[in-house]
Amino acid sequence: MSEIRNYTMNFGPQHPAAHGVLRLVLEMDGEVIQRVDPHIGLLHRGTEKLAESKPYNQSIGYMDRLDYVSMMCNEHAYVRAIEELLGVAVPVRAQYIRTMFDEITRILNHLLWLGAHALDVGAMTVFLYAFREREDLMDCYEAASGARLHATYYRPGGVYRDLPDSMPKYQPSKWHDQGDVDAMNEARQGSLLDFIWDFTERFPQKVDDYETLLTDNRIWKQRTVGIGVVSPERALQLGFTGPMLRGSGVEWDLRKKQPYAMYDQMDFDIPVGTDGDCYDRYLVRMEEFRQSNGIIRQCVEWLRSNPGPVISDNHKITPPSREDMKGGMESLIHHFKLFTEGYCINAGEVYAAVEAPKGEFGIYMISDGANKPYRVKIRAPGFAHLSALDEMCRGHMLADLVAVIGTQDIVFGEIDR
Amino acid sequence: MGASIQHYIKSFFLWELVKGMQVTGRHLFARKITVQYPEEKTPKSPRFRGLHALRRYPNGEERCIACKLCEAVCPALAITIESEERDDGTRRTTRYEIDLFKCIYCGFCEEACPVDSIVETDIHEFHFENRGENIITKEQLLAIGDKYENQIAAARQQDARYR
Amino acid sequence: MAAFEAILAETQQRFGDHLLDATVSNGELTLTIERNAVTEVCRELRDNPVFAFEQLIDLCGVDFADFGKGGPAPVEPQPRFAVVYHLLSIANNRRIRVRAHLDEEQPAIESVVPIWRVADWFEREAFDLFGIIFEGHSDLRRILTDYGFIGHPFRKDFPLTGRVEMRYDADKGRVVYQPVTIEPRTLVPRVIREEPR
Repeated sequence: MSEIRNYTMNFGPQHPAAHGVLRLVLEMDGEVIQRVDPHIGLLHRGTEKLAESKPYNQSIGYMDRLDYVSMMCNEHAYVRAIEELLGVAVPVRAQYIRTMFDEITRILNHLLWLGAHALDVGAMTVFLYAFREREDLMDCYEAASGARLHATYYRPGGVYRDLPDSMPKYQPSKWHDQGDVDAMNEARQGSLLDFIWDFTERFPQKVDDYETLLTDNRIWKQRTVGIGVVSPERALQLGFTGPMLRGSGVEWDLRKKQPYAMYDQMDFDIPVGTDGDCYDRYLVRMEEFRQSNGIIRQCVEWLRSNPGPVISDNHKITPPSREDMKGGMESLIHHFKLFTEGYCINAGEVYAAVEAPKGEFGIYMISDGANKPYRVKIRAPGFAHLSALDEMCRGHMLADLVAVIGTQDIVFGEIDR
Repeated sequence: MGASIQHYIKSFFLWELVKGMQVTGRHLFARKITVQYPEEKTPKSPRFRGLHALRRYPNGEERCIACKLCEAVCPALAITIESEERDDGTRRTTRYEIDLFKCIYCGFCEEACPVDSIVETDIHEFHFENRGENIITKEQLLAIGDKYENQIAAARQQDARYR
Repeated sequence: MAAFEAILAETQQRFGDHLLDATVSNGELTLTIERNAVTEVCRELRDNPVFAFEQLIDLCGVDFADFGKGGPAPVEPQPRFAVVYHLLSIANNRRIRVRAHLDEEQPAIESVVPIWRVADWFEREAFDLFGIIFEGHSDLRRILTDYGFIGHPFRKDFPLTGRVEMRYDADKGRVVYQPVTIEPRTLVPRVIREEPR
């Protein structure tokens, strides 16, 4: 009889369930995983070093490209770090806009997570439905910032532009006549805020649909219940944050515990799991959909009745309006200074974190007084989560690995940086 | 006891699968949201950031004065500018190139431009067929600007009060 | 400052000589500790209920080679490298930053993996990018850079464009490495200005 031995298997980097460019070297005993060795770095672009070579503002766009499904949250951490080093005040309206877009981003991220996770585990339909809602939210992104994904919308001192009071509309074509188009444009008649409001009216119903498809589904439960169980103690040891930590039953959310922007004014709950398995993390994120929806509604209500400036008027760090710039010499000088040299920040260091959809996204920034950061360290939640993949997968079957990757909500932009 | 019998019956009759099929069934007859691209397109906001263009003044004079703000502010170093004095004593670019492979479409060039010359239009359907075509020259940029001037001006007009 | 008084007193009492400096800026407490004491200090920070820093949020290396260079003020010499730990206490809802300086000749420090499991990859990353050795780490491999990469890319003396580039060589029928051909281009120079705010 021949000797039975473990064998090593390669998974990825070109594998649809690897969510990008994850390469895993698996040590298998039959179909049971003995050891997982993730090889990462295939998307390493040196964002931190790049940021050290540019004036502060120029790296905002690169933050979008870290976790490219929760763009504005990354920007938020970055501009917060700069704002804390500068000690600049941010107008309240800008804070509300940021809060609203952070939550829109959370829904965007969780929709992609839900679709991809379900698809990995074998449910195709949810993916299509999730993308339908993402489309509406990306229209919100585009209306505010001009880009569907890589917004570059937040600035130190506020946000770039106020929210528009009209939405772009569908045009008749040979596929849809005027009547159809009128129906499609129904939600787009008012401002962006009206469009978002309309979305929040519809969205809870859609979440119910997703839940109908998944929550009680026997296949879904068989694939997720009891898979990748992490105890609260281990979750802390493994550096989990966000839904991964809350799924294990630790009630920790920076929006509540260390509030930033306008979260201290918001009324919302933190969902917490009990068992720490994939199914609990799924339930936590499903509830976060509803909570985020509620936060967005609170922000919309406030924003509708409180117009005002959306960016600081300290023109050492924010550009003057175009009208001023073209009309006044001082403004023009500020404009040129800001767009060439940027601004210098006195020596110091700061760590600013936000509750990104995946967990704690932090920026550690050291300034030595120059117009460029001396060191930027990006603390990506996915990096810590992925490093726990080995521990979460040991003893599980190969197919469960895919469920664990799905539940971790891996995005390689932020892990490889 | 009652709950477990209920659970047994539901489980036996595949209740949750029936419920799931109801959702898909409802969507089967709902109005479709599919957009028939390319005959039909999704709406684009006036703030959309796509292909670049260089604009001219209504009298046909190019706006760009070679101040190089866009070059300095470009995070991806995609813009290259060379300039010299023209015969009439004004400063103009002799070379204005954008490498569209490097460009990250952040919109900083448009934001920085003091004379509204470089803009990002709402054109997003463009492609290259040969190596090197990704670097677009001043002539090409001006041609795009001439061709779409009405569209560009309308979008800028619509967004002017927010900027 | 007041918020940190209790914890400051405790650190001074517990760590004594190991504590080189404790500063509060931007509402954050930074402890600078002696590098040989890192295991001792970190274990205390985790297990002492006054601190209760159960979570290591971030661990990163810093290269201070060019710090403050080109500025109006003379640069004080300081050790080249540092390892910075960001800790979070969920029980006390508090953060702290711990820093240990390492010199250039021997950038080595004890690993904190036995204290916080998550440090594993963070230490691999700091090793990869800065060449800092973590003593006692069981698997100190490169993590972000390519297989067979040479050098530590986040050190300040490593060029931004890198040293080698790769391309497909049609004659050899494989991917080859060659010296980098990109011209370094800096349009906005680095300047240091004291700006009153």
